[in-house]
Amino acid sequence: NVEVRQKVMNVDPKEQEDFDRELKALLQESLESRKSEARSRLPLNMMVPMNVLEGSKDSRATESESGEETVDEEGGNAGGSSKVRVKVLMKKGHKQQTRQMLIPADSSIVQSTKQQEAAELEE
Amino acid sequence: EDPVGTGAVEDGYDYSKGDFVEHACRYCGIHNPACVARCNVPSCRKWFCNSRGNTSGSHIVNHLVRAKHKEVCLHKDSPLGETILECYNCGCRNVFLLGFISAKAENVVVLLCREPCLSVNALKDMNWDLSQWCPLIDDRCFLSWLVKVPSEQEQLRARQISAQQINKVEELWKTNPDASLEDLEKPGVDDEPQPVVLKYEDAYQYQNVFAPLIKLEADYDKMMKESQSKDNVTVRWDIGLNKKRVAYFVFPKEDNELRLVPGDELRLRYPGDSSHPTWQSVGHVIKLTAQEEVALELRASQGVPTELNVGFSVDFVWKSTSFDRMQGAMKTFAVDETSVSGYIYHHLLGHEVEHQIIRNTLPRRFGAPGLPELNASQVLAVKSVLQKPVSLIQGPPGTGKTVTSAAIVYHMAKQGQGQVLVCAPSNVAVDQLAEKISSTGLKVVRLCAKSREAVSSPVEHLTLHYQVRHLDTSEKSELHKLQQLKDEQGELSSSDEKKYKALKRATEREILQSADVICCTCVGAGDPRLSNFRFRQVLIDESTQATEPECLIPLVLGVKQVVLVGDHCQLGPVIMCKKAARAGLAQSLFERLVILGVKPFRLQVQYRMHPCLSEFPSNCFYEGTLQNGVTVNERQSSGIDFPWPVPNRPMFFYVQMGQEEISASGTSYLNRTEAANVEKIVTTFLRSGVVPSQIGVITPYEGQRAYIVNYMARNGSLRQQLYKEIEVASVDSFQGREKDYIILSCVRSNEHQGIGFLNDPRRLNVALTRARYGIVILGNPKVLSKQPLWNSLLTHYKEHECLVEGPLNNLKQSMVQFQKPKKIYN
Ligand SMILES: [Zn+2]
Ligand SMILES: [Zn+2]
Ligand SMILES: [Zn+2]
Repeated sequence: NVEVRQKVMNVDPKEQEDFDRELKALLQESLESRKSEARSRLPLNMMVPMNVLEGSKDSRATESESGEETVDEEGGNAGGSSKVRVKVLMKKGHKQQTRQMLIPADSSIVQSTKQQEAAELEE
Repeated sequence: EDPVGTGAVEDGYDYSKGDFVEHACRYCGIHNPACVARCNVPSCRKWFCNSRGNTSGSHIVNHLVRAKHKEVCLHKDSPLGETILECYNCGCRNVFLLGFISAKAENVVVLLCREPCLSVNALKDMNWDLSQWCPLIDDRCFLSWLVKVPSEQEQLRARQISAQQINKVEELWKTNPDASLEDLEKPGVDDEPQPVVLKYEDAYQYQNVFAPLIKLEADYDKMMKESQSKDNVTVRWDIGLNKKRVAYFVFPKEDNELRLVPGDELRLRYPGDSSHPTWQSVGHVIKLTAQEEVALELRASQGVPTELNVGFSVDFVWKSTSFDRMQGAMKTFAVDETSVSGYIYHHLLGHEVEHQIIRNTLPRRFGAPGLPELNASQVLAVKSVLQKPVSLIQGPPGTGKTVTSAAIVYHMAKQGQGQVLVCAPSNVAVDQLAEKISSTGLKVVRLCAKSREAVSSPVEHLTLHYQVRHLDTSEKSELHKLQQLKDEQGELSSSDEKKYKALKRATEREILQSADVICCTCVGAGDPRLSNFRFRQVLIDESTQATEPECLIPLVLGVKQVVLVGDHCQLGPVIMCKKAARAGLAQSLFERLVILGVKPFRLQVQYRMHPCLSEFPSNCFYEGTLQNGVTVNERQSSGIDFPWPVPNRPMFFYVQMGQEEISASGTSYLNRTEAANVEKIVTTFLRSGVVPSQIGVITPYEGQRAYIVNYMARNGSLRQQLYKEIEVASVDSFQGREKDYIILSCVRSNEHQGIGFLNDPRRLNVALTRARYGIVILGNPKVLSKQPLWNSLLTHYKEHECLVEGPLNNLKQSMVQFQKPKKIYN
């Protein structure tokens, strides 16, 4: 393996400020543009489709296989931290489907789920 | 492993060849499928990686921010497969709004948008944990478990791109989407184009300077418009009077640079699904409704999927016509020595020419039938114009330049030199002028672009297409029969179509030939239907709002006498490409001729503003020469009980200290406090008996314009409909128009930065001269007073005790200190 000296991150503070300003503007504008949208007309399609989720023996689970492979293979890169398998729920056209992914156990979305579970157990 | 077949090296990727892989990061070349994502804007579709390199944000986020693109698609070999990231609930694809939530019980996550889905109450009852929404873009990167950050190794082997290079290449992509980073180094890319000059050796040199500028502007325009594609558009269907299909939909204009106008061409597409085939058709915008809905008249009559309403996509179809005509006119100007008279040729190029007088018998009176009596300066203008081959008429706001122009055209037409061509850059101005000229009794034909024939016009009866249809010939005429057939069936057999076209062309020609005056836009003068016509006399209104090459189009049809009407103290042509603007494309022919020493004839009596309102603009922009043609009494708003701080002086500067904010594209601004006070003022006007159509709210910033519209709709304390009827517009789009009451929101309010748009004295002139009865200005005097012109405006208001603060029902004179103006404005 070739040893390369650690790269020094050299971000120009002015560039960063400029970038942050534009990013903030985009965020703010995106929010504004959606706020005017009528909330009442909003459809609700958020039921968790239990049939899609149940069991990996389910035929639909095959759809997720290619995704899984990539995840497993790359798994070694991230410095050994443990990973949690989650299902990402998506719509392809009007069809619901899930893809499995490995998410580092310390990522905020996983953390929040764990806390939630812990809290529920305590109750 | 070599997933993309580029010829593997040791560690799996051949970075040096990165650029040849389609999904390689366009900045650094990294092409590991797990680490890249594709920008989903149709005109872009570039791939970027999720590494930061030497910049503050990751490459993909950098691109999205710099290009203002907002949609992303993952690679097919990524964990989620080829997926456009979108809100699971509503389908919103704006990645800046998306984030993940997880189910309370299962290990299931889902993408949800922050606004409005995350805040919908009904969702709280379901099994989702909304409290832990985690944004897709975190710390200026995509979540690294969704789009991986390339390894240290990969990053070190990749191209090292700096933030500056990123900005440059993003700028370059706006005009050339296929440009590579290497192109940045090529000579020419960064070079500024040759700037315009005052005098040109010959028309070839003229063409050499202007052609590249027009090309720059055209490229920019194309890029801008073609990047405006929208998916997920909801359509409702209708049938027009001509039996053509009309699609209505909202075409959100997130980027404030593009405004759709009637006549624009759009493509409506349906991507197809299991029960409907793919479908598409182009059409022309025929109108924009008050609800900002677009009405698109489709070219296709068969197979339109009118049973569907959702899931459509819309693209802009860019047309090069106007730019082609400018280039064509410059070429004609150079190669065809009969295109303009010798005198005008040299005059336009800035050569010294012997003074020339046109020996015409002057009319006994200079007014014209059907027009109001001319005042002294208008009479002088008409008289001087008729004797000169080249003249400039400067019409300050409200000085009756349309009436004067109509009188000039009337007398020109009576001189027997053949037909007169009358042009202006905008359709609105052409229509106004056509109407006025027609009222003198002259036979006027208004030639509209083919794409605008379905657009309703206030002078419909004068338009060529209307006259062709309603030509007073016998019912049996062949053209009428074919037209009827075409209207009924939608199309004709090919032999009938041929016959129809030939007959129509002949009829059009006949009508055009019998006209005294032909009116069209400057670009319209390049219409093939006029190609065999010659015009010795040409009048161009609003000529200070046209670029030089645009102005040239009507001139190269054989002009011997030209009248340019305009006002170089008001705003000039809009140039979108900064490079072209810097090189001087924004300078009008009128302006250049003024600098060359041609003295414009100035109309001096204004009939619009209350004398109190015209005082400052007259002194500041017109050397105090503007006289009032209206008296204080004629501008007294009787029965209107509005709390003007000084009675009989219907104006005040309302001191605002609220902060400005960046809005929209990051180049626009808004100011919430000012918007709130605009609403209060509007409400007070309405309560005091003013009707909505009398009020105009203007502001230099599109961001503020949109914000005010929304704010009034949500917070206005009177009936919603009243606020909807109030026109809120940019200062620029209000040029040439007037309202009884104007509210001007200045927006800019910061300690250290400049005041941007407000710096241009011509914009201030336009803003101050729109009101007939009264004006209210909202702004921050501390900030504005740094600029000399604003400083004198503020001083003027202060001296008249019209600089005020406090609640509207208890306005008090403001003691706010002005800053010293920085430098004298040239
Ligand atoms: Zn893009
Ligand atoms: Zn990259
Ligand atoms: Zn949503």
